[in-house]
Formats: sequence, C-alpha cells, structure tokens
Amino acid sequence: MKFLNIILILILYFYSYPSFTSNYFDLIPIEVSKNVYVILGDNNDINKNNGGAISNTGFIVGDNGILVIDAGPSYLYASSVIEIINSYSKLPIKYLVVTHHHADHSFGISRYLEINTEIIMAEAEAKRYLKYGNRSLRQLSSLIGEEWFLNTKINSFQYKEKEYPVNLDLGARNIIIELYEEGHSDGDLIVKDLSSNTLFVGDLVFGQRAPTSPHANIYNWKNYLDEIIKKDWDILIPGHGNIIKNKEDVLQTKKWITFIDKTAKEASANGISALEIFNKGLPNFIKEYKLAKETWYRDLPLLINKYEFD
Amino acid sequence: MIKYFLILLILVYSGITVAGPMSDFKAGAELSEELSSSPTGKRNTPSSDSLIQSIEALNPNNSDIWSELQDNLLGKDINVLFVDDIKLIMQDYIEEAHKVPLIVTLPKRLHNFKNFILIIENNPIQQALSIKPYRSIEALGMNIRLEDDSPVRAAVLGDNGIWYIGSKMAFVASAGGCSTPACDPSVEVCETGTIGKIAIKQYEREAGAERIKLKITHPMETGFVTDLQGEIIPEYFVKNIHVDDNEGPIADITTFAALSSDPIILLDLPKKGQSVRIHVKDSLGLEFFSFKNNNTM
Repeated sequence: MKFLNIILILILYFYSYPSFTSNYFDLIPIEVSKNVYVILGDNNDINKNNGGAISNTGFIVGDNGILVIDAGPSYLYASSVIEIINSYSKLPIKYLVVTHHHADHSFGISRYLEINTEIIMAEAEAKRYLKYGNRSLRQLSSLIGEEWFLNTKINSFQYKEKEYPVNLDLGARNIIIELYEEGHSDGDLIVKDLSSNTLFVGDLVFGQRAPTSPHANIYNWKNYLDEIIKKDWDILIPGHGNIIKNKEDVLQTKKWITFIDKTAKEASANGISALEIFNKGLPNFIKEYKLAKETWYRDLPLLINKYEFD
Repeated sequence: MIKYFLILLILVYSGITVAGPMSDFKAGAELSEELSSSPTGKRNTPSSDSLIQSIEALNPNNSDIWSELQDNLLGKDINVLFVDDIKLIMQDYIEEAHKVPLIVTLPKRLHNFKNFILIIENNPIQQALSIKPYRSIEALGMNIRLEDDSPVRAAVLGDNGIWYIGSKMAFVASAGGCSTPACDPSVEVCETGTIGKIAIKQYEREAGAERIKLKITHPMETGFVTDLQGEIIPEYFVKNIHVDDNEGPIADITTFAALSSDPIILLDLPKKGQSVRIHVKDSLGLEFFSFKNNNTM
C-alpha cells in the first residue's frame, strides 16, 4: 500500500511538474548592505527555463518608502519581485528606476503602474521602450512562449521630466540618480545609495558576461566606464552578473567593447563582411566571457552595418 | 541506448565531421558547431535531430519541390551537379529572418560562370536573384529573406553548360521573413528611407582585386504582408540592377522580393576598376541612377 502511494505521488509529481515550473521565478534576494537588496538574474541568454529573468533587480528600503532598480522582463516577474519586497517591508514602493529600455530591464513596468509607483527612466529610453517594445515583446513571446509574458503590456506612462542628477530621500536614506546619455543605450541611469556606498550601474557594466551593444555609442561608453571606475563606491551592481567589489572587474566590459568596436571599424573600412570574420572562428581572448559567441554573432554585424554605410 | 547507437551509426555512415562555427554544407555534408549548440530557444535539444533533419532536407531527392523548382528556374533536361566547393557562408541559426546576410564563394573553375541563381526552397518567393556577369566574379553576397527553415542553394551555370549547385541549411528562430512586417506600424513607428537612394562602395582586396558593395534603399514588398487595415500591401521590388564601370558592363542582376528591404549586393572581382555605377529599375517602372543620367543608358 505504501509502495502504491509512493508511485501515485511520483505520477502526480511528474504530471504537475510542467505547470509548476513553467511560469515560476525562483528569486532569492541577497542583502548586499543593510536594507539594500539584489536579485541576481540568470547570467544567460533569454530562454524557456529562465523566462527572460536574466538581468539583476535591486531594491533599497528607506524609512518611508522603497526604490526598485529595473522592472525585469515581464509582468509576472515584476509581480514576484513585488511580492518578495512586500514580505520584507510593508512600505510603499515609491520609485522604479528603469536603467534603460531593453526588454529584460523594462517589460515589468506595467505591473508597477498598477501600484502607482513613479517610473524614472531617461526620456530617450522611454521613447524607445514605446517604439520598439511591442515588436520585441512579440519576438520574445515566439521565442520562449507567450505564457511567460501573460499580462505584460507596453504601456505609456506619465512621463515626468527630470533634471539629472536627481536626488531622492527614501527617509533617512539619500539616493542620487545620474544620467549617462548615449553610452550603452541612449540614456542609462545609474543609482547611488549614499549610506551603503552602493552603485547600481545597469548595463553600463556587465559582470563576467559579454556586454551587448546593439544601441551603443562605444566611444562614450568607454569614457563612462572610466568615470565609473574613478567614482567612490564600495559595492557595484552590474546589470548582469555578480556583485562587483574590485574596480578592475569593470575593465572587463571596457576590454570587450573596445575590441568589438575596433574589429567592426576595420571590417567596414575594408569591406569585410561579418560572416567572413565569423568564418575564422572566435578570437581567443573573448572566449573567457560568458555568452561570447552569441553576443559576438549578434552585435558584430550590427556594428559593421552602422559604420559601413554611415 | 539503442537509439544512441543508431544515431552514432548514422553519423559515422554519413561521414559527418564536426567543423567550425560557420562551416558549409553540401547535400549530406558536415555538422557545424552552431548546429550542435543551438543558441536559440527553438531547438534547445540540438543534437543529432537537427543534424539529421538538415542533412535530409539538403538532399534534393528528399525534397518534394526541388525537381519542379529545377525545371522552372534552371530549365528542363539540364545537367546538374551538387558540389561542395561552392561555399554558402551564412549563419546556421538566424534570429532576424527579414535580413539574412549571405556570401557565396566560387571555386576558380567557376569564376567565369554564365549565370548565377540563388534559390530558397521553402520561401513563398523562391528565387532571390539571378546574375549574368560580363566579367569573372569570384564571390558574391546579398541579404535575403527567409520565411522558415530552408535549404538555400546557389546554382551556378559553368561555361561547359553544367549547373553546379552548392547548398546550405538555415534555421530561423521565428518564421515569417516574407510574410510579417519587419516593422509593424500598428505597434511602432516605422521609418522608411527615400526609395531609390543608392550607395556604392569599392574596396581593395589583396593583389589588386576589388570588392564592390551596393546598397539600394527600397521596401522590397513581398506581397504577403498586410497593412493596418488588413489589406495586402502589393508587391513592389527592385527588378533589375545593371552594374558597370569605366571598362564597361560588369553584370546584369535580376532581383526579386526574396531579397531583404534595402538590399545589399556584394561582388568580388579579380581586378579593380574605376568609378563603378549602377542603374536600377523597380517593378513599378521607376528608374534610379547612381550617376547623372543623360539618356545614354
């Protein structure tokens, strides 16, 4: 009888397994400093298992409100994050800073609009989000399944013009938000929490992983990285990958973008097609980066194209 | 267990070797690294399945449509040889099916070819272009549309009257390169360039050889895409491109809407010429010139 029960449980387990896992995010916040939390994304490409949750989300709890950094890839993801935040603190989520418009950072916006969170996003990036959002939503849905994007909408929201840097007080907790125009994206926001000396830099810095540059101005981006290295911080949270405490780790991003940019410029000057570069195999040094091949294949043609017929 | 053994057997018997990421396919050829490590979600169990699938798909005997296509595009009662020295360089897995870059390199014996036709088997528009050259051409390239996973074949007519065919299997992440809008005006703002804008670039290759790249701004409507009101956007595409330089004509290119919007054409010539220019006609009869036209053409 006991044996039968076990079999029954096993059968039930396997039958229910897909429905349990298909839309479920396994999110574990890490407290990097007192009242500063990070939920690390899967440092991988968007796929059916991670549901698009590949970038890092942060939240900072003050005495009278909470600020969230990045909305994540979908309504469902944002809902899970909000649930977690509520389990830590009942204070209102006052602000959502969306570091830039890419889907893995912005598609959770619609969930935050429901709880009247103020969305802070660079104007140029808010425009891009509205302009290209539906198209990438469609592409992502067809790639990993519509069920991951249930209720996810590209809503327009009331846009408040800001003077950067923006200073916010969460209650005994001061936050500075700075704008870096036309670097990694048209407008990346970085968030500094003064009390913990923590810097959230979005995708201006990638940890371990190959930086993606489809909308980048690499010249500016390199300068911004130098500025970030010079800044005073103890903890740096990149858009993807692990928490950074060592300034040298920021150089990894700079090294990649310098290399891909140089390769693209040389190729476009000589009329070489990206395909011909791919055909030679991956350059050795980039192999140490996670997702090197995918990123190299995706970004190099875009960059060459950009330089070629300019 | 038996299944793996069988797969292994098939692998051994079909003479497959694991090759570089952009290796080329002939009918029943080699497995590229890309194919064995699918980066997109579509085939996340890459393995032997997609390999066998592509080898089968590349075998013209397994194709329901190839013999008819061959009759229609290349002609009836012709000699055809499937070869592996016509290299189709393109990615195995394609994320953006509206614009798929492709380069075809030809072996020396085919540099003086008489005709070149690019065929995408599973497209609603199967022919992307044909090129009739006036001089020898070593390699050529273009941007194509892929409606779905498909064998892509370059058919090259040698001066001995034989059609040589190189093939490659391409998988797309999301289908619809011909039938969905690259930019959907219902949900986004679409910018269209000035139709007929031409850019020509000449590059030096090694030993005085030359590469020519042409870009023509044109929507290349396939006739399979619907607009906001659900009406079909009629087909509208570049039909002919005549390329010449100061030494005379280089090639006559007939093009179809299986080329992507704002088509790019690449030609590798063995000798560098001066002032390359083109004359373009589209399906509405509009003509575009890369030079001042004084009715001499």
